Amino acid sequence: MKYVDEFRDAGIGRVLSGEILAAVEPGRHYKVMEVCGGHTHSIYKYGVDDLLPANVELVHGPGCPVCVIPMGRVDDGIALAHEPGAIFTCFGDMMRVPGSRGTLLEAKAEGADVRMVYSPLDALRIAKANPDRETIFFAIGFETTAPSTALTLMRAKAEGVKNFTVMCNHVTIVPPLRALLESPDLRLDGFIGPGHVSTVVGARPFAFIPAQYEKPCVIAGFEPLDILQAIHMILVQLAEGRCEVENQYTRVVPYEGNRKALEVMAEVFELRPHFEWRGLGFISQSGLKLSARYAELDAELRFSVPGVRVADPKACQCGEVLKGVIKPWECKVFGTACTPERPIGTCMVSSEGACAAYYNYGRFAREREVV
Amino acid sequence: MSCADPFHCVTCADEGVAMRVVAVDEERGLALCAAPGGERQSVEIALVGPVAPGDLLLVHAGTALAALDPTEAGA
Repeated sequence: MKYVDEFRDAGIGRVLSGEILAAVEPGRHYKVMEVCGGHTHSIYKYGVDDLLPANVELVHGPGCPVCVIPMGRVDDGIALAHEPGAIFTCFGDMMRVPGSRGTLLEAKAEGADVRMVYSPLDALRIAKANPDRETIFFAIGFETTAPSTALTLMRAKAEGVKNFTVMCNHVTIVPPLRALLESPDLRLDGFIGPGHVSTVVGARPFAFIPAQYEKPCVIAGFEPLDILQAIHMILVQLAEGRCEVENQYTRVVPYEGNRKALEVMAEVFELRPHFEWRGLGFISQSGLKLSARYAELDAELRFSVPGVRVADPKACQCGEVLKGVIKPWECKVFGTACTPERPIGTCMVSSEGACAAYYNYGRFAREREVV
Repeated sequence: MSCADPFHCVTCADEGVAMRVVAVDEERGLALCAAPGGERQSVEIALVGPVAPGDLLLVHAGTALAALDPTEAGA
């Protein structure tokens, strides 16, 4: 298939692997963070890490929106799902994320009308098909899914749909990156930038990484050769003493991003003063809420939401995993009490979560190493 | 592209789907698109330029974020 086959070519992969080996300085240890969960998933699916020299370590970032959702927000969602007569809609991954008292899937089993949708537009369609019931959409995601929610809200407003609301959990990528760079327990050499977030926001928002923290950032696509090439570009920058934002994913990402998408987001959303991230705590101006113009479509204003803050389970070390401080298999409950079938932490829920990626692809490789 | 597929996350931290345009409803700003597996979905096309049947779009959560131009398919 076009755009896929040419970026999975094993021969080119081996050539790139050799170029990476030639670019590293023997004796120096490199830590490169892939910001987004899509990259984490690809790295373990295709074994990209097996093609890297031992002194190039990949650290998994906080770029999986399911993984960073705090338990309190899940509880709030479940409370909305139990509103009398309500239809609660969300993406499939969200249904299995544990709150403090169960998941949305369990709420469904208890009788709440929780429905999985592929897009916010599907949720709006459900609202229009059930005009006598309230339909709530649990919106989640970075700048990749936020434009979709924004367009659906604009459509709902334009069509005068009165029984549709959104519980907004959208987050933005730059504030957590800044928080990570400020974190004292993390030493990183460079970043693999998020490809599709950059399709929306462009390359400019990442300029602070080289400008203020003197680290390279290379925006990359999601096929194995994209990731290998981005790692090579980072290592070349380091070898040449440069640090800048480069775009490996030029076939999709324009430097300026998608201006229309940024406009619809600015129309519909405004920044929350702060938003809680699982494992990372409260981060200023990192979350989005509906703007005053769309207040009548805000589920948190139309319904009573408990809004209680819930601490993460003690056994769960998602925070350290999300910050790249520990590897998933170093967590006390990884693969034992916490599995994709019965997750304790969010990183094990989403297929893009670092723990799920390790469990599904990496775990057996590690066992081979031990043998 | 299924929510039940453990190896694909619709919430998409950053994983879009390349979909082929099957038909365009310009009045409603929607296009019927087909995923590589054949599943069809209505897609918002307000954020990309004019599209025509056969075009390839990068779709996230039911919204096209970019048109994929075959002539720019560099490595």
